Amino acid sequence: MQTVNDANKLRPAPPEEKSGVGPRLRKVLFAQESILALILLLIVLLLATQSDRFLTTRNLLNQTRFFTETALIALPMTLIIITGGIDLSVGSTLALSAVMLGFSWKFWGLPLELAVAVCLLTGIVAGLFNGLVIVYLKVPPLIVTLATLAIYRGFSFGISQSQSVTSFPEGFAIWGSGDVGGIPTQLIILVIATLIVGVVLARTPFGRYIYAIGNNELGARFAGINVNRVKLLIYTFAGFMAGVAGFIFTSRVLTTRADAATGVELDVIAAVVLGGTSIFGGSGSILGTILGVLIIQLLRNGLQLAGVTGDSTVIVIGFVLIAALLINNALRRRTVAR
Amino acid sequence: MPALLELKAISKTFPGVRALDNVSFDVNPGEVHALLGENGAGKSTLIKIISGVYRPDGGEMLVDGQPVQFTNPGQAQAIGIATIYQELGLYPELTVAENIFMGHMPRTALGSLDWKTAQARSRELLDTLEATELDVRARVGTLNVGNRQRVEIAKALSRNARLLILDEPTAALTSRDVDQLFNIVRKLRERGVGLIYISHRLEEVFELADRVTVLRDGQYISTRPVSEVTEPELIRAMVGRTLDNLYPKLDTTPGEVVLRVRDLHRRPATRGVSFEMRAGEIVGLAGLVGSGRSEMAQVLFGFLPADSGTIEVFGKPASIKSPSDAMRLGIAYIPEDRQRQGLITPMTVRENSSLAVLRQMVRGPFIDRGGEVSLAHSSVKQLDIRTPGIEQLVRNLSGGNQQKIVIAKWLASKPKFLIVDEPTRGIDVGAKAEIHRLLSSLAAQGLAILMISSDLPEVLGMSDRILVMRQGRLVAEYSRAEATQEKIVGAAMTEGVSAVAEVPTP
Amino acid sequence: MSTLTVSRQLRAPNPFLILLNSQEAVLVIALVVVTLFVTALNPRFLEFGNISDILSNCAYVAVAAIGTTMVIVSGNIDISMGSALGVCATIAGTLSVNNVPIPLVFLLTVLAGGLIGLANGFLVAYLRIPAIVVTLGMSSILKGGLIIATQGKWIYNMPPGFALSQGNLAGIPNPVWIMFILIAGFWLYLRYTAQGREVYAVGGNTEAARLSGINTRRVILRVFILNGLLVGVASILFATKFSSIQSNVPSGYELLVITSAVIGGVSILGGTGSVIGALLGAIFLETTRTSLPFIQIGGQPVRAEWFQAIQGTLILLAILIDIARRRRMR
Repeated sequence: MQTVNDANKLRPAPPEEKSGVGPRLRKVLFAQESILALILLLIVLLLATQSDRFLTTRNLLNQTRFFTETALIALPMTLIIITGGIDLSVGSTLALSAVMLGFSWKFWGLPLELAVAVCLLTGIVAGLFNGLVIVYLKVPPLIVTLATLAIYRGFSFGISQSQSVTSFPEGFAIWGSGDVGGIPTQLIILVIATLIVGVVLARTPFGRYIYAIGNNELGARFAGINVNRVKLLIYTFAGFMAGVAGFIFTSRVLTTRADAATGVELDVIAAVVLGGTSIFGGSGSILGTILGVLIIQLLRNGLQLAGVTGDSTVIVIGFVLIAALLINNALRRRTVAR
Repeated sequence: MPALLELKAISKTFPGVRALDNVSFDVNPGEVHALLGENGAGKSTLIKIISGVYRPDGGEMLVDGQPVQFTNPGQAQAIGIATIYQELGLYPELTVAENIFMGHMPRTALGSLDWKTAQARSRELLDTLEATELDVRARVGTLNVGNRQRVEIAKALSRNARLLILDEPTAALTSRDVDQLFNIVRKLRERGVGLIYISHRLEEVFELADRVTVLRDGQYISTRPVSEVTEPELIRAMVGRTLDNLYPKLDTTPGEVVLRVRDLHRRPATRGVSFEMRAGEIVGLAGLVGSGRSEMAQVLFGFLPADSGTIEVFGKPASIKSPSDAMRLGIAYIPEDRQRQGLITPMTVRENSSLAVLRQMVRGPFIDRGGEVSLAHSSVKQLDIRTPGIEQLVRNLSGGNQQKIVIAKWLASKPKFLIVDEPTRGIDVGAKAEIHRLLSSLAAQGLAILMISSDLPEVLGMSDRILVMRQGRLVAEYSRAEATQEKIVGAAMTEGVSAVAEVPTP
Repeated sequence: MSTLTVSRQLRAPNPFLILLNSQEAVLVIALVVVTLFVTALNPRFLEFGNISDILSNCAYVAVAAIGTTMVIVSGNIDISMGSALGVCATIAGTLSVNNVPIPLVFLLTVLAGGLIGLANGFLVAYLRIPAIVVTLGMSSILKGGLIIATQGKWIYNMPPGFALSQGNLAGIPNPVWIMFILIAGFWLYLRYTAQGREVYAVGGNTEAARLSGINTRRVILRVFILNGLLVGVASILFATKFSSIQSNVPSGYELLVITSAVIGGVSILGGTGSVIGALLGAIFLETTRTSLPFIQIGGQPVRAEWFQAIQGTLILLAILIDIARRRRMR
């Protein structure tokens, strides 16, 4: 006699997965990254026809200086959002690190190299604090980082007393404004960072763990993955990269401002979501994020060339973010696959 | 007078599973009608049909003699059918009075909410339930389980419930709360309320119920007045079936003791558990849902921390504080809920099968893709997993194949101890047999296997030894030869069953 | 019967502990303490004009905090208030210098706020996009849009009737009246109407709310619309304070409003909180801010720049206390 817990005989057989080049090519073509690359190409062409200043090497390379800070932070933010978390405090961490750089150099009299180390260390500590509260006090990431957004920004204002530190030595500007063999310094740093993070996410166990946690944190724990350690690392990494961004920013503008990078979390999150990372976690890629950063920067550049003032280009990012979320939403309902 | 509720020839089928087959059931006003059956017998499906969560595929339902068809739970509530949950329906931050009247608060003449009346009526309701010390202004989140249950009952009464369904109401209660619950049930019965009472504790059935209905494997077995049945009769009704020879158990001679657990405590689910396991042995762990088997297994696996107790592996004391510790000692745990705990369903066969050993499957810092692919292929072959390819998403596979992937994942870590929690739940007969064959051959290779299962034939067919847990304690141990279904169920369910010999806890 | 375990609920409740459990009470105590402390350091702090100023200045925060309370209680969040404030203020100013009758100006401003709330609410409730990213995006759309629309130009020369915030009625400044009336009105709404209680249900246990027949989507939409309308009111209070309206949005506004609500007892996880608490929170923050110049540390007054850090620390503390309280409940 059969028991109740019976046949999946009635369930239809799983769909045959076709093999071969054709379907695989189709999968690549329709991947979000490909579509983004296409959009990017279209925007480039569009802008090239609008203004002859656009498609010069000089302009393009110069543009890269503006999005590097956002892109550097977008790398760890991708990891965080894939795990289903979020970090709103990155802009404040950037500012705090920059302020600490100036402060430790000017008021503690540290040599510039050590001041830069303080800057990076500040970022690490800020990120680590977020991670500890999230992992051990079990406060949801949104809430913690909303609070630390205020705290870190507040400390930036408090420590700097709203005064900027300027008059950095000549050589300091090389990181943000200089170049190596014609290529902006920060671009080189960005490329290296992108390659490292991209490879880690796509090809190492750590990267696989991040996807696992985002898809099913409980299942990841049961598989023996040390979820706490992964989370601590990615939030600390986010703080560190915000510190690096703060360093490059300071080098670029040669002044430390407590209100620096207000709103950079918007840019970063918009780029990550545009790049195909689901806000609910579980999927995403570094390539997509970088394409997202590029597209947003180009849209901004285009607006500026059309005469729209700098501050208001932020409107574009808002629209992009919401549009990306809507598309993401619609796609999610349609497909079952990742 | 027509019955309060009457079900005639109710059937319900889910994809591939016939949950209820031609079941008839009725409840009279002023009656406590107990519903008995093993896990998977169909009780919860029946309850969900009565409360409007599911619609039956066949048969009809009558309330007060009139046919009814519910399309949503709200309709059942409106007629006066209420199900008592312990937690799900309450708002922890709101007060008792507000929880009771949420959605139908009394109004003042001006149309605003009348808190005074709500509190007064809540007070009245709670007093009739003898919960006099429960403050109607207390936040529900601060209440213990027993009091929350009383709030739920008061909530049902506030909507003039005439039929109350209690599903395992005493599972998490202290004995004082249980007494109070019984008083409430008796009072409600006196008032003419009909009650459906589901419980695994036979002594409760005999103490409270007027009639008892037994379901088995989705079939209706019998309905008898409680005064006319005995416990052994009930047990036999619940389990009586022919045992197929589905169990290709190879006879092995167990080796030496490889795992020894002493006095393992973890409040509240595990209370002083001690046992041993030998190499090549399959130990079946039987017991009711909620008896603490999974918790104990998770403590062994390091997923939950123990309060006290010792674990010895190969004679040496072991400190297991995390799954990695357990894995290092060669312990693997195949969890109960394969979709939520055992697998990452949006990921592929390949990714899931390597997840537990990913740390070792590397070349330098990178994942050894080639190694991973061959691991996946060999797992598929070895366990005969039916999938179009290793890149198939696990969520698209059938239950049996999903379970095999979970097993494959853990086999890749070359464990010496395997803890399997409900290895064949929700799996078709064919796959079941394969998994049993697999477990047998693993035991033959020297693994010590702890098999937690609520499927009695499986426990009896596969185990060399059978342990029974009840309420966090090990209450019985039987050898393969002496074990019977009745003995196991008896030990799992009752305080002291007269017809069976019980082995005292070691 | 066991004499050992006396049920906690049988013991007579300790009145002091009950009081301490109420966040509002703690806040009032904290407020009194801070005020006394600062006054002891510098008696000039407690002049009547000062108290009146504090209440008047925090009105535009307190009014928005009402809306924020409802949004957070429902289980969501809104960080677009600053940009919405700026946009609505500009609308108010622009309409008034174009000789639209003042009452109509105010009405349209409030409606503009409501429209923004509608957009937010629709995206969150019906398109199921998490509130944090919706309002993050909306915030930047509004901010950028404002700059584009105003071309960076400030608005001057508003007609005399416009200066609502600068007037008073029976000696009490208008903003204070408006603030108290709205607080009272919404307190009644949240406590005495079914609609109001539904907000708590949706935030406290969304599934249970849905199962008991509450239309959770409509509740969330409604909450965002109300929030938007209140921000519209707050923008009037804000815009009419000065003789010009800036083209940029006030920075840190949404944080100020959220902090007011959270230290006032609104749990950031949803399900509980009151507008009275939010009011007290706003008053407390404003008191703290204005007291900074009166406090000397090491011979120097505390610089105003530290206020945001204090704010952030307060919000973190409030959140941690709330989470600890919830853990103890389970």
